[in-house]
Amino acid sequence: MKMAALCSEFGDLVQIKKQLISVISLCKERGLLHSGKWASELAFALDRLPKDELPPSPPFTEEDAQDLDALTLAKSYFDLKEYDRSAYFLKGCCSRKAYFLYMYSRYLSGEKKKDDETVDSLGPLEKGQVRNEALRELRVELSKKHNVGELDGFTLYLYGVVLRKLDLLKEAVEVFVEAIHSLPLHWGAWLELSNLVTNIEMLKSLSLPDCWIKDFFMAHMYTELQMIKEALQKYQNLIEAGFSKSTYIISQIAVAYHNIRDIDQALSLFNELREQDPYRIDNMDTFSNLLYVKSMKPELSYLAHNLVEIDKYRVETCCVIGNYYSLRSQHEKAALYFQRALKLNPRCLGAWTLMGHEYMEMKNTSAAIQAYRHAIEVNKRDYRAWYGLGQTYEILKMPFYCLYYYRKAHQLRPNDSRMLVALGESYEKLSQQVEAKKCYWRAYSVGDVEKMALLKLAKLHEQLTESDDAAQCYMLYIQDIFSCGEQLEHAEVSTALRYLGQYYFKNKLYDEASLCAQRCCDYNDAREEGKALLRQISQVRDQTETPSADLFAPLSNNNTPVRRVSPLNLISFTP
Amino acid sequence: MASVHDSLYFNPMMTNGVVHANVFGIKDWVTPYKISVLALLYDMTASKITLPERRRLNKLILPLQQGPDLTLGQFLKTVEECCPQTAYAVKLRLHEMADGELKDMEYFFSTLPTPFTAFDSEAYKTSVVGLFMRHMLLAYNKLSFSQVYKLYKSLQHYYHSHYAKPTDGELSLPALVSNDSDMDLTSTEDTVGDRIDREEVDAPLHESELRNDNTPSRGPLSQKQAEYFLARQAYLLKNDENKALKPAALQEELNNMLKFNPDFAEAHYLNYLNNMRVQDIFLSAHSLLHYFDRLILSGNEGKSNGDEGYGRSLRYAALNLASLHCRFGHYQQADLALQEAIRIAQESNDHVCLQHCLSWLYTLEQMKGSDSTVLTEDSVKMAAHFCLPYLASLGIQSLVQQGATQGKTAHKLMDALKDTDILHWKHSLSELIEISLAQTTSIWRMYGKSTMALQQAQLLLNMSSLEPVNFGVQQNNTEAFAVALCHLAELHAEQGRYSAVSEILQHLKEQFPPHSQHAKLWMLCDLKIQFERHMNEGKYHLAEPLVTAISALNKTEGLYRKAQVLKALNRSTEAYNILQRLQVHCEKTKCTEVVIRVMLSTAELHWESSGFSTALPLLLQALALARQHHLQSLASEAILHLAFTQLMLGVPEHALSVLHEAIEPVLAHGSVMDKGRALLLTARCQMAVAGFRPNGQGQADLHLAVLAVDTLNESAAYFSKLNCKERLRDVHYLQAQLHRSLGQTSQCNKSAMLFRLLDQELQSPAPPVSMRL
Repeated sequence: MKMAALCSEFGDLVQIKKQLISVISLCKERGLLHSGKWASELAFALDRLPKDELPPSPPFTEEDAQDLDALTLAKSYFDLKEYDRSAYFLKGCCSRKAYFLYMYSRYLSGEKKKDDETVDSLGPLEKGQVRNEALRELRVELSKKHNVGELDGFTLYLYGVVLRKLDLLKEAVEVFVEAIHSLPLHWGAWLELSNLVTNIEMLKSLSLPDCWIKDFFMAHMYTELQMIKEALQKYQNLIEAGFSKSTYIISQIAVAYHNIRDIDQALSLFNELREQDPYRIDNMDTFSNLLYVKSMKPELSYLAHNLVEIDKYRVETCCVIGNYYSLRSQHEKAALYFQRALKLNPRCLGAWTLMGHEYMEMKNTSAAIQAYRHAIEVNKRDYRAWYGLGQTYEILKMPFYCLYYYRKAHQLRPNDSRMLVALGESYEKLSQQVEAKKCYWRAYSVGDVEKMALLKLAKLHEQLTESDDAAQCYMLYIQDIFSCGEQLEHAEVSTALRYLGQYYFKNKLYDEASLCAQRCCDYNDAREEGKALLRQISQVRDQTETPSADLFAPLSNNNTPVRRVSPLNLISFTP
Repeated sequence: MASVHDSLYFNPMMTNGVVHANVFGIKDWVTPYKISVLALLYDMTASKITLPERRRLNKLILPLQQGPDLTLGQFLKTVEECCPQTAYAVKLRLHEMADGELKDMEYFFSTLPTPFTAFDSEAYKTSVVGLFMRHMLLAYNKLSFSQVYKLYKSLQHYYHSHYAKPTDGELSLPALVSNDSDMDLTSTEDTVGDRIDREEVDAPLHESELRNDNTPSRGPLSQKQAEYFLARQAYLLKNDENKALKPAALQEELNNMLKFNPDFAEAHYLNYLNNMRVQDIFLSAHSLLHYFDRLILSGNEGKSNGDEGYGRSLRYAALNLASLHCRFGHYQQADLALQEAIRIAQESNDHVCLQHCLSWLYTLEQMKGSDSTVLTEDSVKMAAHFCLPYLASLGIQSLVQQGATQGKTAHKLMDALKDTDILHWKHSLSELIEISLAQTTSIWRMYGKSTMALQQAQLLLNMSSLEPVNFGVQQNNTEAFAVALCHLAELHAEQGRYSAVSEILQHLKEQFPPHSQHAKLWMLCDLKIQFERHMNEGKYHLAEPLVTAISALNKTEGLYRKAQVLKALNRSTEAYNILQRLQVHCEKTKCTEVVIRVMLSTAELHWESSGFSTALPLLLQALALARQHHLQSLASEAILHLAFTQLMLGVPEHALSVLHEAIEPVLAHGSVMDKGRALLLTARCQMAVAGFRPNGQGQADLHLAVLAVDTLNESAAYFSKLNCKERLRDVHYLQAQLHRSLGQTSQCNKSAMLFRLLDQELQSPAPPVSMRL
């Protein structure tokens, strides 16, 4: 196809727009709806072209003219999902468009029959053996044409899909790459390729055409491979290059922020998205997850009602409603809606995991395990499901058993503090203090979301009577809590202050001790102890009047893991 | 971003968010095979068959009904063996259906004798046959329109695949193509060309095709088939690994099965076992956890059956995890998992599970190398209390093992083993019977009673399998067999029957291929035998490289062998250092046998520096230890050493009297080498007592000298059996001297010549005869 030649350098928006417009019509003619939709969305985000700038419709060949009637008829049958009929009338057509539609109808017909077959199979074990019978034939025919190089971008794409369905993944990757080279603007081929790329090494080893669409693909891949920072950078570049109005990019950025749990950023982006595209349903389940995490009941309720009005039989809608019920602690209903989502699409990963969470809430651990296992089956890299399994076994009081699952989750998200804290807790339960300490410290180092790691580490040190380390940790903890600005519910500043006060008192650093004791008095639960400590300090001071020298000298030389601490000024605390 | 191609897969069997594989609770589905069985039953009731044939057929019914699906070829062959006439009738009936139309199958089902009407026939509703027919009719009537059509299609495929003898799985393809060309009359020519091309294209594709769907011709596995497959493979893995599928092939089969039915939890378990085979900790842990994750669901269903629900499988999950870590030598991890299992079991008052945990606990302690006698005793008591014969006798066996190494009195141990044997036979715990026999072999061997050991080993090897389900396995390939065979090999090696040894080792190699779990046993055994052989033949340079290999398999043994080689190569200081280290180590780990052997070796080192009197206390200590632990062969060995020392210290009379004590057991049970050495020493003592001097001076006691000649002849026979030339040389030297003093010149010359020949052959200067045993 000529599209291959159209690869222009990035930045020429008019060119891009022209390319998009032509590819949209190509996709539409072939019934590739999702690729058409993606391209249209992107084209909509770009400025309108003047009339004379519009790209000319592709040349109409003799073959096309010959097949015109058959093609029109077949396309209408195709649109009405009468695939066999469509294929029948396309047989013998020689134009490329007709050939693609012919093969594609046969493929879809096979898929449809497979789905129908699944419902009434002859036995439970036969259930999984239902295959798309058309695949083998399609593969043979397509490979024959492929060998002589007669396939264009679209048919190559179809060939790739067939190979993937036959689990010939290596071959499929090659064919998709070829398809992309021959027709870079077909987003469907990129997407299929993205499903087959499992790691960054593989991604780097692929030779991809140097086209502006590659940036979209790379950004998408980075998000998939959890390399959020790189993904965000890519998307930012795209926005700066002129795609700022694209809803697709906004939603992708929002999802990326969601993945690194930057909730506020993600929320604001989703709100923006909803303003621009109020009837959008895609990605709204992610949005509802965010609202759920933030416990924003009214917003979630509004979103749920809104989506039900748009289309209540969508997976996303069901997930949003499920989240809504879950937030209202109506877990049975929530589970029901997640089930509905799964009935609509059993390969919907999020729903399996969320359903697992609901069953956990209902204390139905076995069902929860099942749900998580299903999620893992759909996608082995789903860290939430692994984490959920770990939590389930933790609830069942099997700390050793859950280690395996937490480890898996940690492996998938090495820089997520939650897994590390969970691992640390499990190790602590197993009295493996050394490992637990390592986990907590690591959790703090990677940026603790819940601000719990330091507190736990401090308590652990306290238990092990490593008072210097404990004091260090408490100090870091206090610093951490106050530097993040917002008030956390579970903050145990008073505990930290109490310990620090006692610690300084024991080490005869009375000024610091009295400072801590005074701070203690700000908290209800530690007030009495603070006062007692103050009294003790004044007693001791009366006996020996020794001025204390440098504030934190003894601590800063300490050779504990907590080394990067700077002397902190307790005065600046604003509890 | 849902792709267009994400199938609209909808699973109707999903209730409550959970997929039930078997939602109707029916295991029986009508399959083409079942139709054939029905046809057989029908023909059996309809036609006249002679009595013996009928009997044979009747015997066939139950296996056919309950067994896994067979191919038509297999099925017809089995029937034909019983009654060719019926087989033909069945074939005809199937042919009618398969080559006819759908209505023929429908007609067949309608003509089946309904079990409710046929009162007098075998197909009455309560009979086995009747029940089966009712099941089938019910299942058939439940089928929807399209399912009936599918059944008919698969029947046709089933029938035709038997006759068409498909060379590859392409059978359905040409059929489809011809359908196409029928439909499309306008371009027939094109399609014909197409077909030829396609076949050409197919040929190179075939291999990759096979890789992906290699089982298209085999048809779907039924539930029963899958269960049978899993059970068979699991059994084989346990008892005879060689007969099971190769790890890779099995993995592929399992992947296939799991792809089709991810809910088949047992497949995950087999996966775990298979991964254990190839020592893959990651995958085996993964599969094990997956299995229990799945099991928890089914355990929940079992609640109605009075089971305790999934809590039960939780404890066993933790326990299994412990055993997994134990197998991989992660003792700390195993300990943690075990503690978890124990805690959960305690919380739910599950004594049986606790008992299992306890037996694992002492096993773990044992593996860690600490004393666990008390734990084991407790475990046995509790197991007996809860009527768990398996665990109880396993515990007793473990106790016996510990007792044997700690030097408990022999009769007590044997009594205990005898008692457990009674228990085993009562409950027909064949696995434990095997272990018990192997253990008895080992104990006899340790005590130095080679004849008894030989007998016990033979007993085990000649025992036929007692397993109720025997998948054609004549002999189980368990650890017990490996141990017994290794003992057998070593016993033969001791007697110098090396051809028998190599045969046994060959068998071991075949039965336990190098990658398998118990292969280390025979590897060590093989190395030890080779080492001994080289040492006996004086080829130290060949023995030396073996030491490294032995060390890899068993550190202690390796060190000991290293010391031996060094000693033989006269590097005494190094040998002494190693022996000292080894002694300290072994005293700590309570390896009495090695301690005694180390002491004897140390004593030999003292001899080399002529420190005969310093060797004495060591030897006495060794003797005392050996006696205390009833280690007869080592005790005799110690006595031999003692006698030699006395001889060297110039008290041959004492030496001879001490020797009398040892000579009997050595001749009865000892190895050929020991016998030869003992006799050589006796001869030397006799010569010394007779007042015999090397230079022929003095008055020799002629009577004793003649006796010494006999003894020497005998020992020469033993040494020549082992091809132990160095010692033969010594013998010939002594013989020549004796003969000379007795005035037998011709014999003297003959011995002298033999000595000369050997001396030339050996080249190495003969060590002073006096310096070694």
